[in-house]
Amino acid sequence: MSSDLIVVGLSHHTAPVELRERLATPDEGVPQELQALVAEAELHEALLLSTCNRVELYAHAAEPHRALERARAHFRSRAGEGVESCLYHHRGADATHHAFRVAASLDSLVVGEPQILGQVKTAFELANDAGTVGMLLGRCFTRAFAVAKRVRNETRIAEGTVSISSVAAELAEKIFGDLRGRRTLLLGAGLMGETAARSLGATGARLVVINRSREKADALAASCGGEARDYELLQSELVLADVVISSTSADRFVLTRELMREVCRARRHRPLFIIDIAVPRDVDPRVADMDNVFLYDVDDLQKVADEGLAQRRQEAEAAEAIVRAEVGDFESWRRSLALTPTIVELRSYFQQVVKEEVARTAPRLSARSDEDERALRAMSEAIVNKLLHPALTHLKASASQPEGEQLIAATRTLFRLGSGDPPSPTQGSADVVDAARASREAPTNGPLPTRKTHGV
Amino acid sequence: MLISALFTTTAVFYGLACALYLAHLTRGREGLTRATNGALGVAVALHVAYLVTDVAAGSSLVADIHRVLSLVSFAIVVAFLVTTLKRRVTVLGAFITPVTLLFFLASGLGRSVESVPPDVRSQLLPFHIAVNVLGVSAFTLAFGAAVAYVVQERLLRRKELGGVFKRLPALDVLDSLSFRASLVGFSLLTVGVVTGALWIARESVGRAVLEPAPLMGIATWWVFASILGLRVMSGWRGRRAALGTIVGFLCAVSVLAFYALRAGGMHS
Repeated sequence: MSSDLIVVGLSHHTAPVELRERLATPDEGVPQELQALVAEAELHEALLLSTCNRVELYAHAAEPHRALERARAHFRSRAGEGVESCLYHHRGADATHHAFRVAASLDSLVVGEPQILGQVKTAFELANDAGTVGMLLGRCFTRAFAVAKRVRNETRIAEGTVSISSVAAELAEKIFGDLRGRRTLLLGAGLMGETAARSLGATGARLVVINRSREKADALAASCGGEARDYELLQSELVLADVVISSTSADRFVLTRELMREVCRARRHRPLFIIDIAVPRDVDPRVADMDNVFLYDVDDLQKVADEGLAQRRQEAEAAEAIVRAEVGDFESWRRSLALTPTIVELRSYFQQVVKEEVARTAPRLSARSDEDERALRAMSEAIVNKLLHPALTHLKASASQPEGEQLIAATRTLFRLGSGDPPSPTQGSADVVDAARASREAPTNGPLPTRKTHGV
Repeated sequence: MLISALFTTTAVFYGLACALYLAHLTRGREGLTRATNGALGVAVALHVAYLVTDVAAGSSLVADIHRVLSLVSFAIVVAFLVTTLKRRVTVLGAFITPVTLLFFLASGLGRSVESVPPDVRSQLLPFHIAVNVLGVSAFTLAFGAAVAYVVQERLLRRKELGGVFKRLPALDVLDSLSFRASLVGFSLLTVGVVTGALWIARESVGRAVLEPAPLMGIATWWVFASILGLRVMSGWRGRRAALGTIVGFLCAVSVLAFYALRAGGMHS
């Protein structure tokens, strides 16, 4: 089987963003790019996956080696010679393995992130609409989506966030549910505090900034899309806030237990989430014991972020096992594709041989009735079936195994299937006679010339 | 024969749904969701068949405390399923289905003997029982949300932010669900207490008021009245409110338990 699946492209693993940008194709340009690639690289099928982290061409090519060279040349022509060292390629089972890993988010920058599956699905739809998806790529990507679903359902790869600001936002959501309209108070002007506040702001929370320096508060509020307040209003803002992010450079507690007691009294049991990112800390740790107050410092958040990362790594191993098993199944299916035409051709060849022999012998039989002829035909068909039965059973059983491909190829070679020139019946008889003679003449402990054929 | 087979299979499917909900909460396999919904769906269908078969045999659904317990477990599941249509709180099944299973199993402890003497029955009694059944189902929802709140709050305080924490809903969602369900349950219980008092007065069974079950009914009413009062008046919420809801629910369960024990005593 010379035609094969291939993938060629670059990703965040191999290329800087400047190069990825040069090759990236917007969705509306994908059909045109696909048509160009199909024509240039002589592809049966093609799919282009273009995201901010990767640009990859998946294809089914009649001549994989030449198609890979031409696809690389196409990418070089678009992004310059410098792109050559960043391009990688895979073919056959390796290409399938790569496709499954990408869809399952195992090859992503943040392993387990969910966006990639949607991007692969979009790429598939675009290629489908462009008419460049056939049976092989269609099956490959349908399986890739199922693999991604299995990985998501059977492992916890998508659980666990990996940055402090996303942990802060996630925790706030676990306390308040919807953060839209919730009041976030950013105290101080530390960079990490600002990042966390932005992360919360992205979820729709309202941002209020307080700093000892009003100018800094104004500048920060303007850049984050929040409102600045005077430092004197700290206590009243603490009463109103739902989330407090504290990142001042003060060398003593800013939110003391006494202050927070008064604040809590005025809050009437409303929950308050305090994130203390300052080092040294801004919030008295005893505040954590107060009812309806949840206090997390920078170490707590870092620990959660690290756990998320470690958990994802561990889960990725389980996910890789799923991908390997699915690649095995896909390859079995692909190998079995070649089996059906081989069986049909083999059976037809045998039937042709028998038909010809019966036609040649029948006139010599005297006084034969229609019934005799039917019986002769039935007998000849039974002989074909019985002769072929063990060989076909073995071929079918091994079709999904790695050696099945070799068996099918050997069968096709032995019987010259698909060449348009099967051995003639007469020639066949001579071969059998030769083989029989050879076996008689061969030393008794030597290999039998027909041995290998039997194995087939 | 049919009714006992239906009881057993319903109990098995409630048990299966319960185990699957717990597995979903603790192990977090999304693939379990379909199996869980399926198991609960089958359990509900079997429960309906069980109730219909019982009624077809000539019994009243509120004829005795055991049948009432079966009705309570059914009302809980229906209330839970209706809630999950509106809010993404399916995971609360892990706290609610065990209660359902317990009530249903308790309903099988006694049958066929009618524990309410015919001379003290009236039109008021079925209504009194019906509102209380609905009230208990609302309290069970409130209880499930409250237990989830306590668990979630504890995990958040201890900074154990693993799978269970991620799968449980946000604290605010749980608190609001617990509050609303308590409010519905309390309104129904108020009607239940009033109709119960009217029944006692009308049927001249005055001594009944001094029995543990009605007394605990009044205690339940008082606990929920206090919690809801504190919630509305002083902004009470969170862990204390959740613990109060759990206590209130246990009072409500004790009412049913006293009735069941008394019925058991009468049978013996």
